[in-house]
Amino acid sequence: MSMRPVISRIDQINEAELLILKKRLRLTTIFMLGLALILGVRLWYLQVLKGDEFFKSSENNRIRLHWMNAPRGMIADRLGRPLIANRPYFNVTLAREDAPNPGEMLARLATLLNADVNELLDRIREAEDYPRYVPITLKEDLNWKTLVAVENHLYDLPGIRIDVQASREYLYENLGSHLFGYLGRVNEKEFNDSEGGYHLNDQIGKLGLERIYEKELRGEPGRRYVEVDAQGFEQREVSVLQPLPGADIKLTIDRDLQEVAEEALDGKAGAAVMMEVDSGRVLAMASSPPLELNEFVGGISAKAWKAMQENPMKPFINKPIQGQYPPGSTFKMVVALAGLSEGIINNDTTFFCNGAMRFANRDYHCWKKHGHGTVSLERALAESCDVFFYSVGMKVGVDKLAEYAKSLGLGAPTGVILEHEKSGVIPSTAWKRKRYGQPWHEGETMSVSIGQGYDSTTPLQICEMTSALVNGGIRYRPQLVEEIVDSGGKVVKTFEPIVDGHAMGSVKSMAFIRAGMVAAVNTQHGTSTIAKMPNIIVGAKTGTAQVVKVEQYKHLKEKDIPYNYRDHAWFTCFAPAEKPEIAITVLVEHGLHGATGAGPVARKLLDYYFKEIRPRKTTEKDHAAN
Amino acid sequence: MLRIDRRLLLHFDWFLLLAVLAVVAMSLVNLHSATYVGYPGVSPFVKQMYYYLAGGCVILAIMSVDYHFLLKVNYPLYGIVLVLLVFAIAFGKATAGAQRWINLGFVKLQPSELAKLSIVITLASYYCRKDTGRGFGLGDLVPPAALLLVPVGLIIKQPDLGTALMLVFIFISMTLFVKVRTGTLIFLIIVGLAIAPMAWKYGLKPYQRQRVETLFDPENDPLGTGYHIMQSKIAVGSGRVFGKGYLQGTQVHLDFLPERHTDFAFSVLAEEWGFVGAVVFLSSFFFMVFLGLNVAAVARDKLGVLLAFGVSALLFWQAFVNVAMVLGLLPVVGMPLPLFSYGGSSLLMNLASIGILLSVRMRRFRTGSKG
Repeated sequence: MSMRPVISRIDQINEAELLILKKRLRLTTIFMLGLALILGVRLWYLQVLKGDEFFKSSENNRIRLHWMNAPRGMIADRLGRPLIANRPYFNVTLAREDAPNPGEMLARLATLLNADVNELLDRIREAEDYPRYVPITLKEDLNWKTLVAVENHLYDLPGIRIDVQASREYLYENLGSHLFGYLGRVNEKEFNDSEGGYHLNDQIGKLGLERIYEKELRGEPGRRYVEVDAQGFEQREVSVLQPLPGADIKLTIDRDLQEVAEEALDGKAGAAVMMEVDSGRVLAMASSPPLELNEFVGGISAKAWKAMQENPMKPFINKPIQGQYPPGSTFKMVVALAGLSEGIINNDTTFFCNGAMRFANRDYHCWKKHGHGTVSLERALAESCDVFFYSVGMKVGVDKLAEYAKSLGLGAPTGVILEHEKSGVIPSTAWKRKRYGQPWHEGETMSVSIGQGYDSTTPLQICEMTSALVNGGIRYRPQLVEEIVDSGGKVVKTFEPIVDGHAMGSVKSMAFIRAGMVAAVNTQHGTSTIAKMPNIIVGAKTGTAQVVKVEQYKHLKEKDIPYNYRDHAWFTCFAPAEKPEIAITVLVEHGLHGATGAGPVARKLLDYYFKEIRPRKTTEKDHAAN
Repeated sequence: MLRIDRRLLLHFDWFLLLAVLAVVAMSLVNLHSATYVGYPGVSPFVKQMYYYLAGGCVILAIMSVDYHFLLKVNYPLYGIVLVLLVFAIAFGKATAGAQRWINLGFVKLQPSELAKLSIVITLASYYCRKDTGRGFGLGDLVPPAALLLVPVGLIIKQPDLGTALMLVFIFISMTLFVKVRTGTLIFLIIVGLAIAPMAWKYGLKPYQRQRVETLFDPENDPLGTGYHIMQSKIAVGSGRVFGKGYLQGTQVHLDFLPERHTDFAFSVLAEEWGFVGAVVFLSSFFFMVFLGLNVAAVARDKLGVLLAFGVSALLFWQAFVNVAMVLGLLPVVGMPLPLFSYGGSSLLMNLASIGILLSVRMRRFRTGSKG
């Protein structure tokens, strides 16, 4: 349709009507002018007639609104022992308005604070663009001695005030740092998304459980309307709406075990996870090195941030869920399960290991140069014979292996509540086609069968796998939070174990695998004898994750291999063998050998659990029964 | 190639453009004072600059098209706005309890702002097609009233009483402008007076009733809405004749003023620039509205007259309600000051209105031989 007919129709409308409309405009204009005049008169009334009065009330404007942040919820361990609480935090602030001659005063203040006066002047310079009545923070977190000194001299320090602010107190320094995460000042996105729920200097959880349970932990801020005088000093409280304290979070973590795990990993880069096999409750989950939590209080400095970023041990990576490593020999359990369940081997099947297996004109070596001789499944697991698993793996095939691995939770996030969990990789022919556009080579199945090559897993996955292998194949989701308790002590939410799936394969096959792992600890040539305990029977498996092809460094002594090229060490175990309760998985980056690199960490956890925790747990249960 | 008709430029309204620029300049100066401290990230000031630039493009685009084009697209436009309003209710983001926003990722759209301009265009097109010489009777009013009530209903649902009332104001202004028969008018006034008490009692939410009540007795509620009105009045009044000086407004900077860069932006201006500054601003603004009405007076046809009148009325009523609210003459409703308050949707919509005025004005000459 063109515009023409419409316009011509409009043109026909007579001029007279147009004129009448236009005449009416004059009336409208007068009407609007009249209304505008009302506004003008009102302005005159407010500003000129009553101006002085209003000016006075603005000078000593009475009622001011202060927001009061609620005390943040605590984070406590399995037994309700607090791990993170709050403490008041005293800052020195300067209101420039009230400090007409700050030079001398700042010099006095600097002496009291034991600080360089230039440092204080820098702070003032940074805030130069702000209006004079916005207070500037000169120094954060005074200790008691300094606080008292400053308080006593306040009369002599015009414009200086002490400002109290609640902040996190980490009762055990960096314990559980990767689980808890940290707080920081709200950023633009959080500020806007909250639609006014947050104010400018508010703290908000930035990482870990502090972030995930921000809403519960934060509570609801309160409001205080106060009457102030012209100097801004409070005269009287007009009305108060008390803040609603945040809820406490009770973890499944046991403080003592977490401490043991972190101490055992001290100085190393790595991860340790301990889980109840019949529920998925995580008793300890450590990542080393830890985050320096106290650096984040009151805003982390650029220097500290950079130092952590550049640390070669990568403290920012939460290794149990974000570290992805080839599973090494811990993958042999998967191969065994697939072989047994698919009927390719039985418990008596043997292979002969002469130190290598030849395939497609290449020798695939066993770690034991001269071979294990004739090996059965139990011995193959106990002594970690590579040739045995090359043979089984090749017969099972990579795609079947992948199915079993996935049914044990490998190659996918475990679903633990923490964010940014990695999935690892479990290769298959389809995966390789999709990822690289190439067909699968049979030789690659050899590497995969001993957990090298494309395979990669997180320590938490290996722990979940170990747990499933010994509890009859049930895959529990790793659980970190037990319950949320509101400030009145009422339990608002309880978390129950979640079953994420079942392992493929028969329960009988799993029993054979457990026997192999027990043999690894309890026979003379087993690889995991480090975990042998006097009264408790432990089952375990070591692993070595190749970082680079060994050939290059073969001629070097171990201590001469550069740190970054050393293999990662795995150790995964369960106990007690007759009725498994716990699974422990340890990974030490560049720890060289499973038994010597990661084994001692697991051993410390085992010792502590059976000496301290388990007896306590039985009494707990008795109490519960009563 | 685009060939610009010389006559288009000849009739360009430079005074209107100057008046708009004056209002915009004052807005930016004032926004800087209201927000220069305390907003993390990109400051509202910078964002507002982008909106003005975008708005400039919108004006250019609208100006370059003959406004008769609106006759072809008025109903589709109306339909789109209705869909957006429904969408805002269904999926919108809540601010202070109202579903007003649609998040487009890069920008948050407020469809109720679009609805204001859309109702002007819809009614102008509708009345343009009707013979209005004899005035509207009761029956004639049913279709336009229906066009009004659908978006009004959706906006009340959000709930956004201010915008809904604005649509009604526009409808009444434009309908009276095209003439309603005297008998019908008297009848409607009587009916209106009769149902007003009912609407007061059942139509308004308690908080809305309370806002009206506090208007007459603000001291009664010094912590709720009364607090806003009191603080706004103190801010304006304490500016006295010459103001406290730029960036020196204590009411603004000590956080007494709520919504100081959006709905209450005018009180910042009045506090810092005093009676003189406030009058200069209001004069510029109402001069701009007057120039808009002048566009209607010189427009070449009925559509031009109706569009220019509707848009001018829209600018006028928004400003009047906002300033009256800030000065404590009307209850607190969500109503930005056009071209002055911070906020992208409102700004773009009002700049588009200016674009329509300029477009009508540029095409006042007759096609063909008639002068």
